[in-house]
Parts: sequence; structure tokens; C-alpha cells
Amino acid sequence: MRPLAPQVLCHTRRLAFAVTALTALAGGSGAAAAGAQQQGFPHERHQGLFPLCAGCHEGIPGSDSASFYPTAATCARCHDGEQQVRVSWSAPERRAHNLRFDHRVHAGRLERGGDPPVECTGCHTPEGGARMSVSEDIQLGTCFGCHEHQAQEHLVDAYCRTCHTPLARSGMSLSFIEALPMPADHEAQNFVLEGHGSSASADWRRCATCHTADRCAACHVDAARPEIESLEYAPAGMELAMMTAYYPKPATHDEAWFDEHGTQASREACATCHTQDDCTVCHSGSLPVRAAALPRADQVLAPGAGIEARAPASHASLFFLDVHTALAAAEPGTCATCHQESFCVACHDGPSNGGYHPPDFVARHPAAAFGREAECANCHSTEAFCRECHQESGLTGFGRLGPGYHSAGAFWLIRHGQAARQGLESCISCHKQTDCMQCHGVAGAFKVSPHGADFDARSAWERSPRTCVACHLRNPLNGSQP
Amino acid sequence: MTRSRCRWSLDRRGILMPILAIAGVTISPRQAAGQAVRGWVGTTVQAVGLRPLVLDTIPASQVVRDESGALTYEGQPVSCPTASQCTLYGVAARETTVAATQDVSLTAWGWGVQGLSLTTLLRGRARAGGDVAWPRSDDAFDMILGYAQLERGSIRVRAGRQEIRSGLGFPAFDGAWASWSSRRYEVSAYLGRSLARGLREPANEALRPLESFIPDETVHLVGAAARARLSAGSATARYQREIYADRSGLVSERGSLDFVSNVRRARLTGSVDYDFAFGRVGKGRLTVMMPLQDGRWMVEATARRYVPYFQLSTIWGFFEPVSYSEAELRGSWSARPDLALWASGGWRTYGETNATTVFRPLKDEGWRVGAGARWELGDGWSMDGSYRLEWGPGAFLSSVDLGMRYHASDRLGLSAHGTTFQQVEEFRLGDGRAVGGGLSADLVLTDRITVAGGASVLRHRDGGTRSTSPWSQSRAWSSLRIGVGEDPGLSQRRMRR
Repeated sequence: MRPLAPQVLCHTRRLAFAVTALTALAGGSGAAAAGAQQQGFPHERHQGLFPLCAGCHEGIPGSDSASFYPTAATCARCHDGEQQVRVSWSAPERRAHNLRFDHRVHAGRLERGGDPPVECTGCHTPEGGARMSVSEDIQLGTCFGCHEHQAQEHLVDAYCRTCHTPLARSGMSLSFIEALPMPADHEAQNFVLEGHGSSASADWRRCATCHTADRCAACHVDAARPEIESLEYAPAGMELAMMTAYYPKPATHDEAWFDEHGTQASREACATCHTQDDCTVCHSGSLPVRAAALPRADQVLAPGAGIEARAPASHASLFFLDVHTALAAAEPGTCATCHQESFCVACHDGPSNGGYHPPDFVARHPAAAFGREAECANCHSTEAFCRECHQESGLTGFGRLGPGYHSAGAFWLIRHGQAARQGLESCISCHKQTDCMQCHGVAGAFKVSPHGADFDARSAWERSPRTCVACHLRNPLNGSQP
Repeated sequence: MTRSRCRWSLDRRGILMPILAIAGVTISPRQAAGQAVRGWVGTTVQAVGLRPLVLDTIPASQVVRDESGALTYEGQPVSCPTASQCTLYGVAARETTVAATQDVSLTAWGWGVQGLSLTTLLRGRARAGGDVAWPRSDDAFDMILGYAQLERGSIRVRAGRQEIRSGLGFPAFDGAWASWSSRRYEVSAYLGRSLARGLREPANEALRPLESFIPDETVHLVGAAARARLSAGSATARYQREIYADRSGLVSERGSLDFVSNVRRARLTGSVDYDFAFGRVGKGRLTVMMPLQDGRWMVEATARRYVPYFQLSTIWGFFEPVSYSEAELRGSWSARPDLALWASGGWRTYGETNATTVFRPLKDEGWRVGAGARWELGDGWSMDGSYRLEWGPGAFLSSVDLGMRYHASDRLGLSAHGTTFQQVEEFRLGDGRAVGGGLSADLVLTDRITVAGGASVLRHRDGGTRSTSPWSQSRAWSSLRIGVGEDPGLSQRRMRR
């Protein structure tokens, strides 16, 4: 896994936000503007003039936003320069919020004389205050005085949509969003890995209170899952906090899992964090079907966890090159996970700089060729590679009467049998079959049998009669013509 | 050397098909979702300059007999097949040759058919100059791989030119391969026209120009394998046979068992094959690898049996080569995170050859030892040094190698190496020491383009004889590798290197 990026959380613990939001709502405006207007308009000084709140705020009971506030003309009825000094007045702009509060519902209860009756002052005036001592701060307790809060902790186990609209519909500004309080359960150490998914599955609407689907899609490669699609994306123009993808490594992803991950791979299991591109970091051949089911990075918003290819632990051994053949033969599919066939061919049939042999190996290969720790013929055709090169270097077999190459020991010709049986592959890197048949065939000079004491002539004849005939010219068992 | 050209027409079709298919995918104006091509193109150019051996003839009158009774000329033993003339090897004038290899490796998938892919590896060769024929450089084109694969769930099917990497080597064939796999088991079977071992070309066509006796007959290959992957480890059993197309005889019939098992902290790997055609056990290997002290020590013990394998289509197998058995112990020690030391030793003995011996028999045992170290010096420097000694029938080698690498940056690596060795080839003349060294560099130009190159020289100082310095040579090489197609992981893999 690549290093974990620090999580950028848009939550804070500033619970004051709720107070502020309610304040704004109570004043029919955003919090800050509302506060300023409260200070600008001295409600208490006018309390004797206005018997009803709706006299000025006539639009609030009917949720007619155009008449939430009085107009400047309304003020000028008194503040006309004669009765009272002129004043300037403009209604504050309504700020966005995410509360589901509807004045009409409460106003209806007021008109119907509900029990208990809901007066404006019930929410907007501090307890014990004068009738128009409109408070800047509306406490949550004001709501909960009538609405019993079912949740033990407001931010954790409340049924959010009772009071809140989804963030995507709120139109809240970035500063509001960044000031949203973070529920306590979000602070759990494994919340991202283990908590948030089940929580979202249980009630995605809770997530939608503070998050748009953009937050999910910032990390989730597969954002098409139902829990995420249920959330709404932010509308155009809505500014959101910067979201950096965060991909903690699950505890399940240990070495044993690494060996088995292919069998468990699926879009459902992997595409939360991984794009197809993560697979192709290691899977260098044609993409496995399970990996192909994952979306590509250019198809999704999330960057994906991003992984680095790494070699299995076995590759760290200084002797791995020597034992890799057995591993490759026992588990060929394991190699093919990361290595294309051309990777093998680069050494096994490569243009010689594949890296298997040390530099200048060709000049000192005789010991390795005689010792045969590895089977040269796995990569090199004895005839087409060894013999061709030897011939070009001047090492050519000339039949039974050697020209001097094997002259290091006396009587080489009559004592070569042991060497041939011990290193026959080395012999044929220079000699053709006909070189040997000059003596060993029935038509040869000496008719020396090359077969050992346990040679099963009948079995050989049954399996490959044409090879027997090459030296014997006829059936060696009964002398008949083939 | 003359090589058959008739296979060109055959291979041309094989080459063109995957090229056209992949080109169609690549340039198609309407690509299907998930469609992609991935691969690489690599060019390697190599040059070598050396003095080949040549057979020389001298009058017998110039030959003298040395203290051991051998006939020599200026200290070099000679062979005198006639009373008047003797022959010996000398060295010719220096020759230089340049060979180029062009590889194109592509895998393509898509077309809206889930699990369908095409894989091809094409190789072009050319000899750019010089008188020394570089091995196989007269083969202008090879399609080393070229197959279509369909993967559907647990089923995979391939058709085309392919190869099997197995305990029986690398059999290549033109044909079909199919497998079914579950989480723990896999069975596969394949059949097709067999290709020559180590050549990936039709055997009879490829080898007939090189060998006096190669049957002119197509060979069919058929095989099957079963693999089990259990908690105790993995094992693969394989059976394979080659027969002449006209069923006139068997070419080979072999089986193999390969396994790997983790027993606590130890890893056990083993392989053995059996030659049904000749009725004898083939190669075998059993290795136990054990990490100790949290992996700081790695101990590896190997028992090995080696016997060459030959097809029934040649006479070599009927000469009944004997096996050797070897025991080898190797260990490495990570003394510090930046320093690793290793040492190894092995001893082998050959089976009874039942061959005639005159005067004294040849050696029938051999041994090899080695030791080395890897040291990360820091600041991008690292060193690698080793000493190896091998002494067995046919050859003796004592060599020292030292390499140094400097990572100038994430993209540029510089290397230097030096070597000196003494070599004796027992079955022929030749005893000498060589000293050499070289420089190389590799540069990651972009995430997808890497260039590398190097040069080395080797100077042979013979053991006091007049004759030869066949190991003296100069070499140079350069390579260019370009990743093509969609491979998001390519850059990361390259950078890690």
C-alpha cells in the first residue's frame, strides 16, 4: 500500500454550529446576518407598538419568503422624518441551512390553538425575557422542550432526517459545512475501515445529513453501490471541503491473504479501494477476469488505493534464481500472475543479456556446461545454438579422426566413452550424429556398440524403429528389412 | 550456414494473423469498453570481436615429443593422423560481428468478449556485419508466441503457438491448450504440432540443416497436467508424449512431478521426471530452504540428480548417458541490513559408465564451492563480489568477479564489473587465465522508455603455449525498450528497478 494520506475531515466538534443555525432559522435568516440585524433592529424598544410578531413578519407563518421581513416602507410609516427620524432598513439575506423546520407547521398549531400552543416567543424569546426580547441564540432545548429527543446522543443515534435535510439540498456554504460537528462514533480508530460502511448500510440518510455522495466517491472506486447512489451529489456550484482519499490497509491483507487474494477477488470485495489499475501493477499479462470486473481509474472519481508491485518473499533469497524452476513448475500460475510469458522468454530464449548468466559467461561456460547444474537445453538448442556457435569459433567435429582438439590426453579416441556417457550433451555441442555413427554404426569402421549392458533392444525397436535403422540399417532383432 | 527457408512462408501467416488482429484492436475507431493493448518493444544490438579457432596443418617434421611423450609444436600438443602432416588449432585474424534482435511483445483484450485476449511475441533478427555468424541470426523472423486465449470463469482455452513451462522443460507447440481450475485444483491438457526444443520452430524443419540425421516428419505433442494447491503446498504432475504424425514411432514419453511445500518455516521444493520411452528416471532435485534468526540466515540444502534427456528421434539417448548425483549446501547471512554474505559447496559423483578405459579412467566426480557478498554502501552505491571454484570431469574453473553499481538517480544506473578466471578444459587443449572488465549504464528516459548499454573486454593469457587466445574478446551491447499500450503499473515497475 502506498503511504496513507492524512484524512481530511470536514467535521469539527463545534457544536455551536447547531445553535447558530437555529438562531438563523429563528430569525428567518442565516445566523450571522440575523445576529447583525437583531442588533440593528431594537425589538424591545418597539414592543409597545407591535402586538403581533406577524405584523412585521407576516410571511413567516405561511413560509412566504418574500415577506419574512418588513420592507423599508413599513418602517417609513413612522420613521418618515417628521414623526420619527428616518432610518435605513433592508431585510437580511436568508442563509442556507439544513434544518427541516417548517414555520407553517408551527404557525398552524398557533392558529388552531394547539395544545400546547406554539407562540413565536416560545422559541425566539429567552425564558423569562420580555415579549420582544428576541434572542440571538436559540438553544436546542427549545425544540426539545416540546419534541422529546429519542436519541441518547444527538449526533450519533438520532434519526437525523426528522430535523435535517440532506446536505446536498441545503445549499450550505463551505464555512457552514466545515463547521459541521463530527459525531463521536466517527472518532473511533477503525471507523473508516470497519464502522462507516455498516453504518451507511444501516441508514445512509444519516450520512446524507452532513455528506454528499461526492465524499463517498472521493474514496470509493465503486461509487455505484446502492448506499452511495442513494446519497445525492452536490449540485453545481456548491462548494465542498477538499477531500483527500484515505485508504487504510485492512488487517485482513496479510501475507497469507496476499497468496490467496486472487481467489477472493470480486468487484464487491475489491472495488471499494482498488481500481483495475491497481491490479495491472502486478498482473502484467492479459487482465484476469476478476480484475477486469473492476473499474479503471479513468472511469471513476476516486484515485484508488494505489499499490506498488512487490516480489514475494521467496524472491529475496540470493539463490532464488537457482530454485525458481521448481517453483515455476509446481505453481506456474503463480508466476504468471506478475510475469508475462515474454519475461521468461527474455532469459530462456533471449538475446543473451537477459541477466541469467554473469557477464562474460560465454568465455567460461565450459565448467557450467559440463557440470550441468541447470539444463542448458531448456533455453539453448544444442544443435542450433551451441553447435552453431562452436562451429563459428572453429570448434567443429570432424568425425572419428579428430584434428587435435581432444589431444590433451593420449589415446583420446579409445578412451572417450566414459567422457561421452558422463557428458554427452557436451559432445553433441560439436559433433553430429554421423560423427559417432562412423564407428558405432554397423556400417562404421569398428562397429562398436554404444549401448550399455542393460539396454533393452526390443523396447527400443518397438518405440522408435527408424532410429535403430539409422545405425543398424535393418531390424537389429531379426535382421529383417524395415 | 544454410538454413531452410521454407518455414518462412509458414511463419509469415502465423506472424501476420496476430499482428493484424492486434492492429485492428488498436486502430479500430470504435473500441469496446475495457479494450486494451499492452506490451513492449525491445531492440538489442550486440557486437563481439574475437579471434576464432582455426585448424592449422604443419609438417610432421616440425613436431617434437615432449617429456610426457606427447607430440607438440611450440609447446602445444598436436594430432598427427598421417606420417607427414599434423594438425593443431590456431587462432585466426580478429573478426567482428554485430547482431540485432527486435522483439515485439503484445497482449490485447477486449472486443466486448469477456476473457478473450491475444498474446504474441515476435522476434526479428539481423546480422549487421562481420564474418562470424551469430547463433540463429540467419533466422529473420520468429513467432515465439502467438495465441488467443479465452477465459471464462474457471475455464481457460488457448489456441495458437504457445509453450509450457514445466518440469519437462519448455515444450513449445502449435495447437490448443485448455485448463479448468478451482481454488485448489487445476487440470490442463494440450496437443498440437511439436516445436524443436530451444528453438520454438518445427523440429524437422529447424534441425535438418544442422544435423545429418533428423527425420523429415511432423511430430505431434500431447500432454496433460494436474495441479493441487493444498495447505501443505502445491504439486503438479505432468505427462507428455510426442509421436510422429504418421504414428511410425515414438519421439518422447515423459512424466514429471514438481512440488513446493512449506513445513513450518522451511520451504521444500522438489522435482523429478521419468523417461517412459527409455524406461529410466531422469532429473531430480530436492531442496530444503530454511530461514533462521528471523531470516538473517538462510540455509539451503539440495540433493540433485542430473541425466541428460534425448528424444528417441536421435541416436544420443541410445548411448545411455549416465547420471550424476550431487549434494549441495548453501547459506547466506545478512550480517547487517546492508550486507549479505553467502557461501556454497557441492560434491557430485557420476554413475558407472561401463565404458572402456585405457591407462587411467577419467574423473568421475566433481565439486564446486563458492562464496560472495553483497554490500549496499549507501548513497546509491552497491557492490557484489564472488569467488567460484568448480572442478569436475571435463573442466576446471576458478573465477573471481567483482561488480559495482551506482544509482546516480532514480532513473540512471551505472555499473562496472571486473573478472579474472583460470580455466582448464580437460578434454582438450587449453589452460589459461583471463582478465576482463566492463562498464554499463541504464537510463529510464520516461516511464515507458529505457535505454541501456555496455561494453566489456576480456584478455586471455594462455598457459605458455604458442597457441590460442580464444577467450580474448571485446563485446558491446545496447538495448532500447519501450512500453506500449495501457499499463498503468509500468512506470512503477520500472522505477523500482
